[in-house]
Amino acid sequence: MMDIASLGGELLGQIPLGDIVLYLTPFNLFMFAAVLIFTLLIAISRTETQVETEFGTLGNRRVEVDRAEFRIRRFLAVVCGLATAGAMITGDLFNFTLFVTLIGIVNIGIVAAVRQVEVLDAAFQYGLIAMMASLPLFGGAALVLGSSGTLSLLELSRMGGNPMMIFATLLILMGVVGETGVAPFYATKAEMFRTPGSPFILIIHLSSLLVIVRAIEVLLIAGL
Amino acid sequence: MMVPEFTLSLFTPAVYTGLIAGFIGLLGISFQKNDLSALILTDIVGIAMLVIVAAVGTDLAEALILPGLVVELAEIMAISEVLISREMRIRGAPEFPHLPMELEVFRTAPNFLALVLIAYGVFLTGFTGGAVAGAGILFYAATRKARGLPVIEWNGIAGVSGITWCLWLAGFMIFFIAPQLWLLALFMSGCGILIKVASKMGLIGVLAREEIMEAGGDE
Repeated sequence: MMDIASLGGELLGQIPLGDIVLYLTPFNLFMFAAVLIFTLLIAISRTETQVETEFGTLGNRRVEVDRAEFRIRRFLAVVCGLATAGAMITGDLFNFTLFVTLIGIVNIGIVAAVRQVEVLDAAFQYGLIAMMASLPLFGGAALVLGSSGTLSLLELSRMGGNPMMIFATLLILMGVVGETGVAPFYATKAEMFRTPGSPFILIIHLSSLLVIVRAIEVLLIAGL
Repeated sequence: MMVPEFTLSLFTPAVYTGLIAGFIGLLGISFQKNDLSALILTDIVGIAMLVIVAAVGTDLAEALILPGLVVELAEIMAISEVLISREMRIRGAPEFPHLPMELEVFRTAPNFLALVLIAYGVFLTGFTGGAVAGAGILFYAATRKARGLPVIEWNGIAGVSGITWCLWLAGFMIFFIAPQLWLLALFMSGCGILIKVASKMGLIGVLAREEIMEAGGDE
């Protein structure tokens, strides 16, 4: 049994919003603030322009992102940042899974409008994996609810684990791995970075990184 | 016992059904080489996810199915857009004209929500009610515009606002001159400020559109 204090530091307080109780620890607050700062930086930044060298000549080619694409991409990147921030601070297991799937959907959207066929192909494969991963993700959350009767992480931290809960948390881990596209699914996602459009592309990377860290905390709370 | 024994006994079989259905779906995807078929088979895996969530069988599970379904739909729509866009790039097909999706809920829901907002605003009366009702009008105009439908021009709206403002003032006067008619005064000032604020909020929409048209953007 893992209590919240040993994972995230001292419990600073709770925000009871009806059924959903947010709990605040230095760990959650730091991650939340970091994501919000990065999202703000993305919201005020402009997109990069790639320069590709042409083969066989001395010429260069500029790969620019046009204005309409830039705007929709910035919007989706900001949504992705907010969803990541939500996943960092939420105290409800099901909300966590919903934020994670939102990150997955938005990641597809960020690269959906590009012109490179390989990138679209990678986005399609990533989308398929993300959709398949929603089965273990939501299934695991439902099994936690079915075997413990609650989805609140604060309540779950007070309960001991049982074999069903450990199975459910393993399912959630599979779901998070598929949804964020880390190993062993990184091959689909690495291709997506070839599209021009940094820093909006970077949020795809950052969100999966932070979600994995938070997911480990959640799984230790719920499973052990 | 709040939940019948029979319902409890269904939990384990339902979870197994969901997991097996999902496994069959994944097996199908692994055999399938056609992208479109893989997408359709992936939907089966999504449905299996809903089965597992539904297996819990409490009212909380009922509340969880809805977001699960929405996520499922959003994902399949996003992936199919990517697929369409990729096929268009490969075949070099001419760009399709943008066709807004025809869903019945797009037509009915905005009207219904606007109606609820206006009705609630009228029920509240006063300044708050005016703001709520005005938001309803604004919402109605905005959703009509977003669907490309013509928005009725309310040129006389400023006049209505002025008259109701006089009504509000008159109500106030009656309060001081004839306090025994307080109910009439209350209604006059309450309804007056309701319509005034609501029409002002509606005006914001009309003015904003004219400003945008002058700037030459977004039209």
